[in-house]
Amino acid sequence: MLWLRAQRRQARRGMRLARRADALRQMGDTLRDAEDPQACAAHLQAALADLCEGGTPGTATLMLLKDTLPKANDDAAATWLGPLDADSQAGLWLCLREGQAFGPGTGRHEQQGAWYLPVRARRVSLGAARLALDELPTDAQQAADLRAHAQALCDQMGLALERATATRQATQAREAAHAQQLRNTLLAAISHDYRTPLATILGAASALQEQDDRLSIEQRHRLAASIVSEADQLSRLTDNALQLARLDAPGLELRLDWQSAEEIVGAVLRRFRTTGSRDPQQRLRARVEPGLPLLRCDAVLLVQMLDNLVDNALHHGGSEGPIEVLVRHINEHVLIAVRDRGPGVPPAERGRIFEVYQRGEASSGRGAGVGLAVCRAIARAHGAELQYRPRGHGGASFECRWPVPAQPAAAPGG
Amino acid sequence: MGTVLLVEDDPELRATLRAALEVEGWRVLAAASLADAAALWTHAQGRGTPVALVLLDQGLPDGEGATLLQRLRREHGTPVLVISARDGAAQKIALLDAGADDYLVKPFSVGELLARMRVALRHRGQALQPAITRYRRGALQVDLTAHRVQLHGAEVHLTPTEFKLLARLVRSAGQVVTHRTLLADVWGAEYTEHTHYLRLYMGQLRAKLEADPADPQLLLTEPGVGYRLAEPDEGQPGAAS
Repeated sequence: MLWLRAQRRQARRGMRLARRADALRQMGDTLRDAEDPQACAAHLQAALADLCEGGTPGTATLMLLKDTLPKANDDAAATWLGPLDADSQAGLWLCLREGQAFGPGTGRHEQQGAWYLPVRARRVSLGAARLALDELPTDAQQAADLRAHAQALCDQMGLALERATATRQATQAREAAHAQQLRNTLLAAISHDYRTPLATILGAASALQEQDDRLSIEQRHRLAASIVSEADQLSRLTDNALQLARLDAPGLELRLDWQSAEEIVGAVLRRFRTTGSRDPQQRLRARVEPGLPLLRCDAVLLVQMLDNLVDNALHHGGSEGPIEVLVRHINEHVLIAVRDRGPGVPPAERGRIFEVYQRGEASSGRGAGVGLAVCRAIARAHGAELQYRPRGHGGASFECRWPVPAQPAAAPGG
Repeated sequence: MGTVLLVEDDPELRATLRAALEVEGWRVLAAASLADAAALWTHAQGRGTPVALVLLDQGLPDGEGATLLQRLRREHGTPVLVISARDGAAQKIALLDAGADDYLVKPFSVGELLARMRVALRHRGQALQPAITRYRRGALQVDLTAHRVQLHGAEVHLTPTEFKLLARLVRSAGQVVTHRTLLADVWGAEYTEHTHYLRLYMGQLRAKLEADPADPQLLLTEPGVGYRLAEPDEGQPGAAS
């Protein structure tokens, strides 16, 4: 008889162990699949309450620190789950701070009606659980097993929390380093790009000042003209640098409105026509398909993007052949492209041309460093992608496929 | 020519603009602050040489240029050109809606400045005379009273809405008109957010009136702000004769 009873007990114990292993595995799976372990708090709470394995479910209360441990107990510093009163809240804080379990059978605060278990990471505790079971196993060994199991569940959560915090901190550090690096690159690019036009302006202006009586009228005109065109270049560099910083900042708000690609292209062409020195050979032309759908975008940004692409083509797209702004409706997109018949971008450089301050060796090195980066940032801000494509018979094409939204209702009247 | 009140706190820019305007024959009153500007204004009125046009910088040591703008518009109707270092579209719209005749974003060329001044002064003249009813530039001729639009001497048929839109731009020829103003004046106050109407009808107008709609010479776009009908050819009477 005794032998039989022992056998049965052994069998029940085996089943219990299997169920507990199962519970631990499930908890592990849940935690692994969740992006934020805090989201699994309810799962842990349920697993703890259900510990009695078929008996009356217990009551589990869970506290998890939101961030680091505050100096004084501050209830706002943790998330709480489950029934709560002042006593159990104080108990949970105590358990968290001591990092040790207490309650029946633990040898500490034995008079408590519930177990208090720390949610432990490797070095610190990140929370605590209170577990009140109606019927604790009378057998001391069984009770200890049960508590060990509850502790294991809590520790799984603790380790997951620690891992998530570490990942979050690493991401933040990486982002901060990236932002810092971008700022440095941008500053280097800007100061380099500014020097050339500034040197021309200072040179020309000081020549006018110091050599005035020895200069012919033509020479004076030429100097004045280069001051004007270089100042114009500086102004555009400033716009680009500011825009890049703006687009890179979090919480950017675009002024989205219905826009006509034809109008935008017209405005860009006009900028090049009215500032005489930018397209002296009149190489710039537009090919805009009629009847295009309207786009949803920030007009000022789209103008700036095309202005930069055209400027880039004028500076780096060879000295002959037309510079073409092409707009066509292709399937669900409006293709906006700026194309030239110049030497194109060497294959080795194609991967980097949209990065701040990368320019071809043969280029005259003017402003493209920030210019193309701004273009890409503007396209991306609108959910479009700017790409470089070499043209069939030579030349560069910078292309952007702009999403076409559902069109607005037509206007009343004729 | 007349008197210009130049309100600009940067001494270099003030001196440069003053010199450029004086070469053009203007008498220039230069102020570095709002208080200066108000004093010079009153003084000029008292001497019987009222200010014909105000060039107004935005951020001044004793306040925003916009505050003076409101006063000048309310009390006198003198044209005001805002010169500003801020280039946000929202900023421009706010200034135009507050009554500025036009704006120039720093940096700008003397040529641009003089062109904008010319347009603002022409409209100032018309505030006292009948409104503009005729427009001519290049091949385009518009006669609003006769309801006639001609291109290269040939009649162009416009729909009623197209005509209303063109007429509104003719009345402010050379000046930028905000989207909001155009929508309110052509479609009605409840349509001021319907910018897509403007995109479609401006597109139709360009298709009918421009040689190359993608490279317009007449119906010009001010991105994010509004539209500007190109300044009419010189020597045009403007008002109905």
